[in-house]
This record gives sequence, C-alpha cells and structure tokens, in this order.
Amino acid sequence: MLALADLKKGDNLPELKKSVSQENINRYAEASRDFNPIHIDEDYARKTPLGGTIAHGMLILAYVSQMMTAAFEHHWLSGGKLMARFKAPARPGDTITISGEVIAVEKGDGQNRITCNLLVTNQHDEPVIIGEAIVGVTNNENSC
Amino acid sequence: MSDVPNQSKVEYSQLEVGYEFPPAHYQLDASTVSAYLQAVEETHQLFQGSALVPPMAVAALTMASLSEHLTFPAGAIHVSQDFEFTDTVTTGDTLTSHASVARKQDRGKLHLLAIDLNVNNLEGKTVLTGKTSFVLPDSSAQAETPG
Repeated sequence: MLALADLKKGDNLPELKKSVSQENINRYAEASRDFNPIHIDEDYARKTPLGGTIAHGMLILAYVSQMMTAAFEHHWLSGGKLMARFKAPARPGDTITISGEVIAVEKGDGQNRITCNLLVTNQHDEPVIIGEAIVGVTNNENSC
Repeated sequence: MSDVPNQSKVEYSQLEVGYEFPPAHYQLDASTVSAYLQAVEETHQLFQGSALVPPMAVAALTMASLSEHLTFPAGAIHVSQDFEFTDTVTTGDTLTSHASVARKQDRGKLHLLAIDLNVNNLEGKTVLTGKTSFVLPDSSAQAETPG
C-alpha cells in the first residue's frame, strides 16, 4: 500500500500492465456470466463493425480496481468511488497499462479525500479508459 | 448464482425514465468468488485467506443480473461506468441488486440510456451504488444483450 500520509498532488499510483487474451476474456465471461458474443464469439464479432472480439469493459475496470486496491487496500473496498469512460475497446493481443496520478488531497476532519486521475492505454498509447477515482482515508491511518 | 426467474427481456425502446428492473438476489459463494479472482488475476493479499470480495466482483454480477432483463440493438456501446463501494462484501453474503432507468435521451439516430444501480446486503445496508451508460443505435438492427 502507498504511504498515505505522504501522498501529494502529482504522485503516481503503482502502475499495472496486463496482457489481454481471448483466454482471459473467456474466463471473465464465465466468472461474470456475461456471454455477449462480441466478447467470446470470434465468427460473430468478425462480422461486426468492431472486426473482432473485444474485452469486457468491466474486465478492464477490474484491473483498474486492482491498481486501486494495491494503492489503498481496505480504504478502496469500502469508500472507493470510480468514474470511468470507455474510449476504445481492448482486444486480444493488446497489452494495456493501467496508471493513475493523485490530483488532489483534501484534508478533512477525521478523513482525507484523495482524488486520482485514471488512465488505461494500449500498446499504441491510445486511451482505452479515462476516469477518476476518489478514496476516503481516515486521518489516524495515514501512516499506512 | 442469481435466482431471477427466466422472464422475457425488455427492449430498450420500451424503457422509460423511472422504470425499475426486477430486483435480483444472489449469493457470493466461494466458487463464484474464486472464479472471479482467477479471471481477473487478482492476487492481492487482502483476498488471500480472507473472505473479502473484490468490489468489482459485486459490480460484475450486478451488471450480469441487469443483462438478464435487457435487450439492446446490435451496435450498442457501453460508454461509461460509475461505482461507489460503500461497504465491504464477504464471501457468503447474499445481495440484492436494484436497477432503474435514470435517463433516456434521443440524439438524432443515437440514443443515450443511463441506468442507476444499487446493491444491498441482507441487513439492508447499501454496499454498492453506480450508474451505467450506453449509447444505442436505432433499434432496426439485430438485438443483443449489453456487454
């Protein structure tokens, strides 16, 4: 977990890299019960304007949440807020990078509010997801 | 997982602001949580040897229960997703998700649909709230479920 007491504007969250594969996507479809053919049926997906299967947006958001959990642990699990915009699909074969930057630390009475910019890009540096996350951190746990 | 009866899906053209989807009830059993952790390659120590469930697992199952009730035209795009995780969820918890249409707007040949989400545990405590938004083309195309 990050040293929350020392967090300041401009600090980076621990970056994650993930390889997207059809196998990952299929596993996520099973786990999430989302069997939309655009994700799992290559023949179907090839005939759509997307030209092939794409990862579930929720799978990519799960990776974002993974980064936030690594940074803020239980503060994220209870008190985390995520606002995400899907900009482009992630496809099998893509390598995506999940990153974040602290853009504000607001000191409050008993709790600090930390706001982060979020960015997911593919191997071509194209944005896949942009967003923002907010986490409340109690003051007496700032030395985590 | 979900005990929602198999009923006919609603097409987005039938939806109106305020429409409430049937609530869905599901239990986060150990195998469901384990499958989710493997699928997203989540190895954080918080979830190893503890009953804590990743909040996005709850979100994923909430979206899945919504898709059981909703049919979109082909070409629908999931454009945005907001979540607030208001309380922790543990393996074995039984949750109830509620969804209602928050916004429906026509913009030429495209339509914007936003759905509010709310998930409670058995004690009635809210564990997750959110909003999911889609851009939809004209419904003349082949129907599919949201993804």
